[in-house]
Amino acid sequence: MKTVLSLSVNGTTRDDVIPDNMLLVDYLRENIGLTGTKVGCDGGECGACTVLINDRPRHSCLTLAVTCQGARIETVDGLSRDNRLSALQRGFDEKLGAQCGFCTPGMIMASEALLRANPKPDEAAIRNALAANICRCTGYVKIIEAVQFAAEIANEIADEALAS
Amino acid sequence: MSTSEQDIIPVQSIGVPKPLVDGPEKTTGKAMFAADFQSIEALVGRILRSPHAHANIIRIDTSKAEALPGVKAVVTEADCSDSYGVLPIAMNEWALARGRVRYRGEPVAAVAAINVATAQAALDLIEVTYEELPAYFTAADARADDALDLHQEKPGNIEREVDFDLGDVDQGMAAADLIREVDVRCAEVCQVQMEPHAAYAEYDPGRERLTIRPSTQVPFYVHKMLSRTMGMADSHIRVIKPHIGGGFGSRTETLQSDLIAGLLARKARGTVRVVLSREETFITHRGRPESHIKMKVGMKADGTITATDFSVVQRGGAYSGYGIVTILYAGSMIFGLYDISSVRFKGFRVLTNTPPCGAFRGHGTVKTRFAFEGLIDDMATELGLDPFAVRRANLLVAPTMTENDLLVNSYGLDQCLDWAEAASAWKVRKGKMGPNKGLGMACSHYISGASKPKHWTGEPHATIHLRVDWDASITLLTGAAEIGQGSSTVMAQCVAETLGVDMSRIRVIASDSAVTPKDNGSYSSRVTFMVGNASIDAAQNLKATLVAAAARKLEIAPEDVECLGEVFRGGQQDQGLSFDEVVMEALKGEGTITVKGTYDTIPESWGGKKYRGAAIGGTMAFSYAAQVVEVTVDPYTAEITVDKVWVAHDCGRALNPLAVEGQVQGSVWMGMGQAMSEETQYHEGLLLHANMLDYRVPTIIESPPIEVGIIEANDPHGPFGAKEAGEGSLSSFLPALTNAVADAMGVRATDLPLTPDKLLELLEKKARDIKASGRAA
Amino acid sequence: MEFMPQMQMHQPTSVEDAVSLHGAAPDGRYLAGGSDLLVNIRRGIEQPDSLVYVNNIPEMRAITETSDQITIGGAVTLRELSGNSAVAEHFAAVAQAAGEVAGPSHREYGTVGGNLCLDTRCVFYNQSEWWRAANNYCLKYRGEICHVAPGGKKCFAAFSGDVAPALLLFDAEVEIAGPDGRRRMPLADLYRNDGMDHLTLRPGELLVAIHVAKLTTSISSAPIASAYAKSRIRGSIDFPLAGVAVAMAVAGGKITDLRIALTGVSPLPFLAKGMDDFIGREGDETCLEEIRDKIRTQAKAMKTTTTPPHYRRRVAGALAQKLAASIF
Ligand SMILES: Cc1cc2nc3c(=O)[nH]c(=O)nc-3n(C[C@H](O)[C@H](O)[C@H](O)COP(=O)(O)OP(=O)(O)OC[C@H]3O[C@@H](n4cnc5c(N)ncnc54)[C@H](O)[C@@H]3O)c2cc1C
Ligand code: SF4
Ligand code: FES
Ligand code: FES
Repeated sequence: MKTVLSLSVNGTTRDDVIPDNMLLVDYLRENIGLTGTKVGCDGGECGACTVLINDRPRHSCLTLAVTCQGARIETVDGLSRDNRLSALQRGFDEKLGAQCGFCTPGMIMASEALLRANPKPDEAAIRNALAANICRCTGYVKIIEAVQFAAEIANEIADEALAS
Repeated sequence: MSTSEQDIIPVQSIGVPKPLVDGPEKTTGKAMFAADFQSIEALVGRILRSPHAHANIIRIDTSKAEALPGVKAVVTEADCSDSYGVLPIAMNEWALARGRVRYRGEPVAAVAAINVATAQAALDLIEVTYEELPAYFTAADARADDALDLHQEKPGNIEREVDFDLGDVDQGMAAADLIREVDVRCAEVCQVQMEPHAAYAEYDPGRERLTIRPSTQVPFYVHKMLSRTMGMADSHIRVIKPHIGGGFGSRTETLQSDLIAGLLARKARGTVRVVLSREETFITHRGRPESHIKMKVGMKADGTITATDFSVVQRGGAYSGYGIVTILYAGSMIFGLYDISSVRFKGFRVLTNTPPCGAFRGHGTVKTRFAFEGLIDDMATELGLDPFAVRRANLLVAPTMTENDLLVNSYGLDQCLDWAEAASAWKVRKGKMGPNKGLGMACSHYISGASKPKHWTGEPHATIHLRVDWDASITLLTGAAEIGQGSSTVMAQCVAETLGVDMSRIRVIASDSAVTPKDNGSYSSRVTFMVGNASIDAAQNLKATLVAAAARKLEIAPEDVECLGEVFRGGQQDQGLSFDEVVMEALKGEGTITVKGTYDTIPESWGGKKYRGAAIGGTMAFSYAAQVVEVTVDPYTAEITVDKVWVAHDCGRALNPLAVEGQVQGSVWMGMGQAMSEETQYHEGLLLHANMLDYRVPTIIESPPIEVGIIEANDPHGPFGAKEAGEGSLSSFLPALTNAVADAMGVRATDLPLTPDKLLELLEKKARDIKASGRAA
Repeated sequence: MEFMPQMQMHQPTSVEDAVSLHGAAPDGRYLAGGSDLLVNIRRGIEQPDSLVYVNNIPEMRAITETSDQITIGGAVTLRELSGNSAVAEHFAAVAQAAGEVAGPSHREYGTVGGNLCLDTRCVFYNQSEWWRAANNYCLKYRGEICHVAPGGKKCFAAFSGDVAPALLLFDAEVEIAGPDGRRRMPLADLYRNDGMDHLTLRPGELLVAIHVAKLTTSISSAPIASAYAKSRIRGSIDFPLAGVAVAMAVAGGKITDLRIALTGVSPLPFLAKGMDDFIGREGDETCLEEIRDKIRTQAKAMKTTTTPPHYRRRVAGALAQKLAASIF
């Protein structure tokens, strides 16, 4: 009960033989060593494992890897482009949206999905998009500020990337 | 290097908002937490847990598990050399239960195997024969006359009974114009840091040495307990703290999983990774105990408090842990916030067949504060006083010693009150909020580290090493555990500020026992104060070395050297030397520069001798907080919405205002969870809440905006005047909330968490009472 | 690394293939989003030997609208459902309920079929294998007694899907495909009042689609007003302690049609009885309180959650009252 899984992870296409019962989070963390994605609960309750599948957020702890055949997976490990922090990575750093940093990968990926669909979200939209992600450190105030900041600087960063 | 026109000024690092020095690792996924370490040969460690709440272990047979192909080690208590614990006087836990299990889920055996499936299968093959014993899940049952003792050396299942009677309570009550009592119950709550407990242990069979990466706030304690449990020399163990996904006190003592990882790695003579599930992390517990508080306060008509008489009963769980400290704090920390002198206290810490409690953010103070601040609010209402006025009627004047001999050297509560009152527009809004809306307020405080360490060895409280080599970067070596609270950043700031250099010159290496100086750990908000001071001391020593070198090179006297951080010079006309040039000079003949800084508390801060345990509470400085909470209650469902929180926190000098805000917001919000939705619940000692659906950590939806006012009542002994920022504002949220609900709905909640079912009952009772009194009239 | 039992995965692209693949497996399950099934597998309360993944079946992924009805494919995600404008216009309660399920990330992949076929829930059941073993299991799975009502032989695990009550308001029908072909039945008939076995699906049957006829009020062509609300301790993620869907038509200040459906308070979602009694009534306070009381008595919540049943019964009534008041 093994399958060849062909997919793209952080922009790189790959083929891996995996057992049918393997969770996406285990595939990412254990098989291909992308440990940026975190596990905070026993299934679906905390959001720490959130990754993007075809631009949309999803719990990798409740996803079987074989169902990602042909999909485009993105994790926090691959968000920095050309060795520059992404707007959200900068936002969570500079605005202290990350204290211990354990919820951060999931928070950033859920926020990334939001900003791709809605580049100028208001506070309510940010809250609604992050409502499946638990943070135990920040009380969320600075997480909201981090996403707002990222939305503001996103264009700036895109311009810089073009210029360089 | 031109200095003529625009004069050089040293770089300022203190008082400036700074992102965390390890921020980018966290936002890129590069930060390595314990469960992130892997290697092809790492074995999977799994733990067999007791299904019984209280039972004698008659027999453990691991032979079948050991025979299973792929199983590399099976360990039981037989592999442990000694018990462990956190207080030297109460080490009554074993990494794996010896002879008896005392709560459901207590570790009994553990296996290391080549993969999860094999490890799981091996657990199923371990045979344990138990003889069940009567079990006690409430403090009252455990204290019953005929109850069996959980521990022989703790008769009556009393971990510790404490009391004090200071001032003259009876006379104080007699002098009061109003005396009121309250009976408060607060549920047990759990830290639920986002990272489940984990440890990665590597055993070097050739040298018989262990290297371990545990998810801990106290690497030094883990080190000590590993050597004790494993019967190994301290020097053969290396503890490296990886990134830590929060702690809030759940990791201020050694956990079984840390020890089990070590035991398994040694027995397997290899590498073992133990990663607990969320359920197991809940079972490990170490949260805040369920408490029952009875409190009586006497007050003058002007709000002056004349006497306080209270008792606290805590359900402590199956082992001692920090229990003695928690119950002592529950009493002693009534002092230090207000000018009160006559207080009587009686406390009982009870052992029960539930997971052991520990030290949760705001350790010991939270529930006492909840009882007190709710009671005096009601008394204020009855006396026709404003809640702010009542607090102002009882302010301390620093410097002073409290009745139980706690040193209060700096005190910003008055300013906190002013800020919270103004920011919330209290004066114009209070009482005019409209139906189902209310405002409530309360105050709180916390220590900046215990002045007397638990393990008294005569060493300084904190030690920092600084190392500078030919590359002219400064490496700060600290044993203090960065757990997300920003301690590494604070240390870098203290060093940068003292030297006047840019923080980018400084690299912090934290918590690797082979490299960094010992530190007691991150708990009771000690790090900023003690390690911050040690950092300053080290930086001053480094500065002296550099100034001496600059003087040599410039051929002037050291006292004539002007140190401007990046430039050392003889005066404004002098072009001076760059930092790098000074370093090169300093290395001549000496080689790599290493300097040390230390910090010691002063004896006046050690707490008094007025009663047994009076030293618990002694601290160098208290932080203060006042907050206002605004709520709206849904009259249909009794759901409470917190619309906004305004919180003022006196942290002394705010070394990093950004981090202070983050810490204060996190504390207030954690108080909110405890006040409104979080509680542990058991079914015959089995956790009903061992997941993040039934244990309800607030989501972003119901979490309010929290506006922070930083109050800087600098402490004379604090690093640049700083005190703690990470705990003090937690406990005032709880009473501020119930005070706001009282304002909105006219009912007093005394049972936390105030979930909608409890509030609905209060509202229905009120409606019934009104009806009944209407009928009676 | 999580412990997962061995299983084989099938990923068919047609309903017929799905049904036959399922039929060939001794103990197979349909897998849609997996936001319920995978949790249960990880907890050992489901141990299928094979999974038939239904999200690659185009027929099950579409929402189609005709002049008099809307068809919702069984594998339509909750996000798609809550964001669909036709659904929101005609069946506001359905869109709202779909938007209240779990959290936003769950709704990205959780499906309406999975939501309707959700397993029932109980604090003594939704626990790990170790936990349930330590508690001697229970009637619903592997055990002899019920910890909620220890004397009886009935399981009270609560159906806790949010969408079903909203669909019940509109007499939705479900299209089922099985080894014997396709059939249609009222959604209400999908459920039975038994927490151990609450679905009437026969072995191997697949919920292909939901058909809902557009309802209009008797006097105008406007869609009938409806709304959904759930009680939960937190603002997101939590299952309903009680969920209430209300559809109401009002003409000349009087109720002309009233339907209320409940979830979270018993082993099945159901339409409340006796709502016709309110036809012709004005929506005054007494009427609303009577609605509340009538719902309260039908919400027979048991101790299957950590929140006491007393509150869940009362809040069901309160939500009905609140929603009815908001529609007036
Ligand atoms: C933390 C958390 C919170 C949650 N909160 C809520 C909540 O508030 N409200 C709520 O309603 N749900 C909640 N859920 C449950 C779940 O997310 C949703 O109910 C979701 O809609 C389930 O859909 P799914 O596609 O993921 O179902 P799956 O998990 O794929 O399937 C669920 C069940 O339905 C069966 N099934 C699926 N599709 C079909 C089909 N087409 N035909 C026949 N059988 C089928 C499966 O075999 C399985 O038995 C929550 C889940 C989690 C993890
Ligand atoms: S209601 Fe009773 S039988 Fe049903 S799941 Fe709960 S405990 Fe088990
Ligand atoms: S790990 Fe918690 S939701 Fe996936
Ligand atoms: S930053 Fe620690 S959990 Fe969010």
